[in-house]
Amino acid sequence: MRDFILKRVAAIILPFICIYGFYVILHGHVSPGGSFAGGIIVGLSFIAYSTIYGIEKGRVKLPEKVLTWTESYGTLWYGIMGMVGIVKGAPFLANKLAGVDLGAPGALSSGGLISLIGLGVGIRVASTMVTLFFTMMEEES
Amino acid sequence: MIASITANLPVFVVIAPLFVAFVLPTFARRMRLVEGLVIFVETLGLVGAGYLASIVLRQKGIPIIYQLGGWPAPWGIELEAGSLGVFFLLVIAGVSLPVSLFAKGNLTEEVGSKERVARFYVLYLLLGGALAGMAVTNDLFNVFVLVEVATLSCCGLVSARNHPRAAEAAFTYLIMATLGSTLVLGGIGFLYMVTGHLNMGFASQELGRIWQDYPHVVWMAVSFILVGFGVKSAIFPLHVWLPDAHSTAPSPASAILSGLAVKGYLICLLKFLYSVFGPELMQKFAVHRILALVGAVAIIAGSVLALTQEELKRRLAYSTVAQVGYIILGFGLVNTKGLTGTLFYLASHAVIKSTLFLAAGAMLAATGKKNVRELAGVGRKMPITMAAFTVGSLGLIGIPLFSGFIGKWYLLLGSLEAGNILSVAVIIAGSVLCAAYLLPVIRGAYFEPGPEEDWKDPGLPQKIALILLVAAIVILGVVPGPFLELAKRAAAELLALQ
Amino acid sequence: MKVLLEKLLVNYPYVAAVILFMIGALTVLTRSNLFKKLLGINIMESAIFLMFVAGGNIRGGAAPILGEVNPKSVYINPLPSALMLTGIVVSVSVTAFALALIVRLYKSYGTTDARRISQLRDEVTER
Repeated sequence: MRDFILKRVAAIILPFICIYGFYVILHGHVSPGGSFAGGIIVGLSFIAYSTIYGIEKGRVKLPEKVLTWTESYGTLWYGIMGMVGIVKGAPFLANKLAGVDLGAPGALSSGGLISLIGLGVGIRVASTMVTLFFTMMEEES
Repeated sequence: MIASITANLPVFVVIAPLFVAFVLPTFARRMRLVEGLVIFVETLGLVGAGYLASIVLRQKGIPIIYQLGGWPAPWGIELEAGSLGVFFLLVIAGVSLPVSLFAKGNLTEEVGSKERVARFYVLYLLLGGALAGMAVTNDLFNVFVLVEVATLSCCGLVSARNHPRAAEAAFTYLIMATLGSTLVLGGIGFLYMVTGHLNMGFASQELGRIWQDYPHVVWMAVSFILVGFGVKSAIFPLHVWLPDAHSTAPSPASAILSGLAVKGYLICLLKFLYSVFGPELMQKFAVHRILALVGAVAIIAGSVLALTQEELKRRLAYSTVAQVGYIILGFGLVNTKGLTGTLFYLASHAVIKSTLFLAAGAMLAATGKKNVRELAGVGRKMPITMAAFTVGSLGLIGIPLFSGFIGKWYLLLGSLEAGNILSVAVIIAGSVLCAAYLLPVIRGAYFEPGPEEDWKDPGLPQKIALILLVAAIVILGVVPGPFLELAKRAAAELLALQ
Repeated sequence: MKVLLEKLLVNYPYVAAVILFMIGALTVLTRSNLFKKLLGINIMESAIFLMFVAGGNIRGGAAPILGEVNPKSVYINPLPSALMLTGIVVSVSVTAFALALIVRLYKSYGTTDARRISQLRDEVTER
């Protein structure tokens, strides 16, 4: 009976939690939160899915290969965004000097490269959380 | 294109190992690709460091300032590739390339499966990148972040083996190192709250102006930073984690940990003491006397403890504690000759200790024994390895023609100039004790008869690595020229900061 | 004496940070259970975070978010909070790594008591 309620409620709420996590990541330069906190929220939505529906179903959604890839390339995305400045002649991790159009402060597009870097970092943090969870859980069995 | 690479070289030297470290886990199965990439990026690092060194030497010591993101100094993070930074970059690149050559093909038996070897290399490259960052950074909080990256990588490297003692040593190291990091962060917090700047240059100017209004806070900042970095670089009473950690790590990891990681934290401490606090504040708070005393105690205590150890790797680990004492003693000599000697001794010890640990690791792996007594007769069966060990030992003792002599010579000159006769006595006594705990190993290996076993020299990459390191020891001892010039300029830069 | 008490009351975040730091340090150094050592480290780091963030606070200042509200005269300093985000990430990583090591130690030695582990290790090396 308890399982039944959990599964039904989770099926409705967990996608919204995931989207909320992405919202926090992308609005890092405008409101509190940023890449790390948003990434944790996204990761938590997947961990909650694995807890409620079982580890095997969680593994089907996120196999080991996908997790290794997102971990490595999420972090590399940070570096690639930094190199955008170098290609245009500005120092590493340059935002305005790299010719990115910063609109009005307070709008979503005013961060320039910050949101994009945050996306990479957030995905990486989420996959690290999920990897840690799976490692701990599978260690037990 | 070339111009943009050379203009951004200070950042590339730091982030190139990090980029390769990020992508390594995705092709963990293809071991040759992994090892090839690691050696490739280390070579690039050496070339980059050499080029930066040539630019800085030609510029007569004016540092290359690089602003991350284009933000100027008080708002942005600044990288400063001055004489000190370039000196340490050369040391890092010069030591990690031979060590990564040594690790080629050698790691699977020590560490386990292929994925574990790939993870080892990831941690290795992260440590290299963090140390390179520590060399060039000019920002207080950046130092903390890089120190944390280095600490976690070191703990990962220590726990690489499957042995239970490795896990225990890694846990002790993690707890003590995190204690140190927390203290360092506290010290940085005090400095920020008092000066309002995170950039080292601005902070030191502000500190020179207002320290009389907040003497207690500055005192606390100095103590926290000294003890925090002291725990991490194994200064004598706080060295307890070092013997376990460095003796249970795999041999390339021991070489990097003893040779480079400890030195990285010492370079950060040097930057804090001389670039942020400044020589005058140090003398007003009598920090230089404390450093000289602690260094002297560390030399004697570390050497005496090394005499009592039966296992070879533990003996070398306690020897590191003693040599760190030499470097701290040099920090307490606030004159050009003393600081030149410290920096040169730091570089020479990095090369020598890596040679000793790699040679010891090769001997232990080939013979399967751990104690010094059981290594009798190794010299005839593994000539190249034992020759490398001998050259390293002679360098450490301070025989002329090897690099240790020049470092100790300048330290002696600096102590005489500062009027510190105790330091002179301790430096010479330390050399004698060093001979006492290293020469019996060599004598046993060459002159005692050994069992009739099939002990062979390690393979070709390992031999090349040992020969490269030995060549570095001899070259630094015979023609120190440009390297010594860099050290002298770095010492002058550190002392000239008012 | 009254001046001292008044100063302590006005700077209550720093007093709290110092007390937390001492509690954390004592826990790490005196307790032999590995989990408690790890918790001591966490408490110490929390104390330092509190000290930093309190150092950036200005009484009566507004939150440093540019919004539709009329700009107040004084915003609090956002830099220490941003620095401490990095510090919290580091603290989480250290905790995760230490927990993995504790699991490994428990599997090898069967106990999470540091004194018992060093006893067992000495027995093994004697044999």
